[in-house]
Amino acid sequence: MIFNLTTVRVLRQFVQVVFLLVFIITILQATYPFKPWLPPELFLWLDPLSATMPLIANRHFDLIFLVALIVLLSPFVVGRAFCGWVCPLGTVIDLNDKIFTQHLKKINPLWRSVKTGLLMLFVVLALLGIQYSWLMDPLPLLWRSSGVIVLSFLFLLVDTSLAILIKLGIFSETLMNFQDRLNAYLFPVASPVFTNLLLPVLILVIILALSNLTRRFWCRHLCLLGALLGLIAKLSPLQRRVDQNLCTKCGICRRKCKMAAIEEDFYITEKSECILCLSCAPQCPPAAITYDWQSPGRMTSKIDLSRRGFLGATLGGLIGAGFFKINQPDSHHSDRLIRPPGAITENEFMAQCIRCGECVRICATSGKCLQIAFLETGWEGLLTPLAKFRYGYCEYNCNLCGQICPTKAIQPLALPEKQKVKMGKAIFLKERCIPYRVNENCLVCEEHCPLPDKAIKVIPQEYIDPLNGNKRIVLYPQVDENLCIGCGICENKCPLNGEAGIIVIREGEERQLL
Amino acid sequence: MNRRQFLKTTAIITGGVLTGLPHSAFPSNPPADLVLVKNGLPAAMVGKALELLGGIKRFVSKGERVLLKPNLSWDRTPEYAATTNPELVAEVVRQCYQAGAANVLILDNTCNDARRSYTSCRIPEYAEKYGAEVRFVRDNQFIETPIPNSRQLKSWLIHQEVFKVDKIINLPILKQHGTTQITMGFKNVMGLIGGNRGRIHRPFAENIVDLNRVIVANLTILDAYRVLRRNGPSGGNLEDVDQLNTLIAGTDRVLVDAWGAKIFGIAPQTLPYLQLANAEGMGEINTDKFRPVVYDF
Repeated sequence: MIFNLTTVRVLRQFVQVVFLLVFIITILQATYPFKPWLPPELFLWLDPLSATMPLIANRHFDLIFLVALIVLLSPFVVGRAFCGWVCPLGTVIDLNDKIFTQHLKKINPLWRSVKTGLLMLFVVLALLGIQYSWLMDPLPLLWRSSGVIVLSFLFLLVDTSLAILIKLGIFSETLMNFQDRLNAYLFPVASPVFTNLLLPVLILVIILALSNLTRRFWCRHLCLLGALLGLIAKLSPLQRRVDQNLCTKCGICRRKCKMAAIEEDFYITEKSECILCLSCAPQCPPAAITYDWQSPGRMTSKIDLSRRGFLGATLGGLIGAGFFKINQPDSHHSDRLIRPPGAITENEFMAQCIRCGECVRICATSGKCLQIAFLETGWEGLLTPLAKFRYGYCEYNCNLCGQICPTKAIQPLALPEKQKVKMGKAIFLKERCIPYRVNENCLVCEEHCPLPDKAIKVIPQEYIDPLNGNKRIVLYPQVDENLCIGCGICENKCPLNGEAGIIVIREGEERQLL
Repeated sequence: MNRRQFLKTTAIITGGVLTGLPHSAFPSNPPADLVLVKNGLPAAMVGKALELLGGIKRFVSKGERVLLKPNLSWDRTPEYAATTNPELVAEVVRQCYQAGAANVLILDNTCNDARRSYTSCRIPEYAEKYGAEVRFVRDNQFIETPIPNSRQLKSWLIHQEVFKVDKIINLPILKQHGTTQITMGFKNVMGLIGGNRGRIHRPFAENIVDLNRVIVANLTILDAYRVLRRNGPSGGNLEDVDQLNTLIAGTDRVLVDAWGAKIFGIAPQTLPYLQLANAEGMGEINTDKFRPVVYDF
């Protein structure tokens, strides 16, 4: 080996940080005004699971899936280096492990087959049309938890502190200019609010907390992408080698290994586990460890999954699929479940959406209607995007959710097309709506209706007060259901608290074909 | 003193007196309080209007902070006439600085997303060329303000700058509006308030008059260069836009709106908020009695 392994290890850490920064940049770019110089979808396009799982579940091929081949085929050359060098969640876990956690437990290395079993289970689910691997796929997982939550939180923090400083009058002119700059390129003017954030946050917190047991617990035992790349890495030519003449069997390498990839004899390395992090080699006192490309072809080890594990995973997948299909959501409010404009038909949508939260994040910088679903659309629709119009509305001149969706679960419609797509239609709740309830003028909904020919029409009618016989003309709003596209600005701007006097229902919604 | 000396002294004294006298010592006309300018381009019309009103210095003094309140409320480009003409706004900015204003601030609490609206209406782009300070409106900048002698609103959230600046110039655009038939200066101040603004619509006349008790524009310039006739106030259809090439400006807020109504084709007396404002002594509503100085390009 010509390289000094200590240098390469430092290089790896540098590469990790660079990829983490690139990841953060791709997230930051998912914003209005949308002028990305790196596609925000980059890491999701590179993700083999985000490409293959919708493909298996929907049997629909898209050329963009080919990008993922770069990562999918990489183990044929460099093993699981993606996990140790590139994966932003891996880097976050490494940082977290360095700063916060104590590694308390020794876990039997055989437990690493759990992730292979889970991968098997999610493949079975996908074959049965339930695409659920996003739950444990590191890239969409980190995207939705950091893209939506961490950055919104950060924004709130920055905005609040700036507001305090500006109020104090210290450099307020400069600070206000700085705030405007942030608004121009990064953040919306009003801080976005979300609902159902607990689950995505919890998943991330649990992943980081699990590192208290062992280093990179997630990567060893749970990560589906790690499992997939690990399977291929068994064929990797790149291999850690120990010079048995030099090795003193001191065991430092095994203790330093983040992935428990080194067997008890210190010679054999499990290639499906080794992430080429080089934690072992530079620490080896006699410098017995080198890395080498051997002729590939012979499998050094069998697939971890036992026959029992294989059977269990398959059965689990079958039972799980049944559970998802049988366990339907409360249908009482099903007419209020509005999908983003350009969403494909519902069953395909659920199977195509990888729950990365890109649409939710970019919407938070524009119309602010998209929210993460909890169980509104059932277990199958967990964490899918829903338009909730009391949080925001669909901006008439915005089509960014479709532009940014990495799997085209939301189709990339041109603005004129998107402006015609019916997300649903607005109806008046006449027992709530002010003109219908108390026979006084309001028309806030009509004022905001963005259609060139307003979908809310004004019907002036004489009203006779039954109490005193006084007459007055009242302007009653009425929805022209042929014109309404269900953008929800009426529901959003309705001055009533709680439920609006006008709501958007799913009736007449238009879905795209995949 | 010989003849040469006499002529020289006379010339010096005359010259000195003439140059030393303020320009207004030779008035062509006394300054008007209400002007209507027609058939010019937006910037030229507002320039002429200000000239007829006695010059911008009548309203803005040296070192003052001026708040301009154009309509930036909708994610629409200027030709849709949902937002104030950007060239008009820019000319007002230029003149304010010419009069020695320390700072010209532009704000609006928008209906559509703030960033989209500010970009589409192009007012920031034009106004910043002349040094205007264009700011987004933020939730923490509103102050719950008591409204003395109000009919309906005891208090409301009003933007802090309303109370910090020296002068307010209201720059509404004339357009159709479902609730009020048309929207002009009185309604335009809603861009300086926060809270649940939809509540203002009920009862509209009392509420909007109450807001205008605390938000008092020193000058109102009503943009009627392009006028949105239908599907207002958001618009979106060029067929609904009329090219009226008109501008009304004045110090009487009620009278400017009354004349706006008149040129739109609506009798001012049919607008309840104008009647109420007139009854409350905020200005004149009678367009037959109070006529503008008219200038036609």
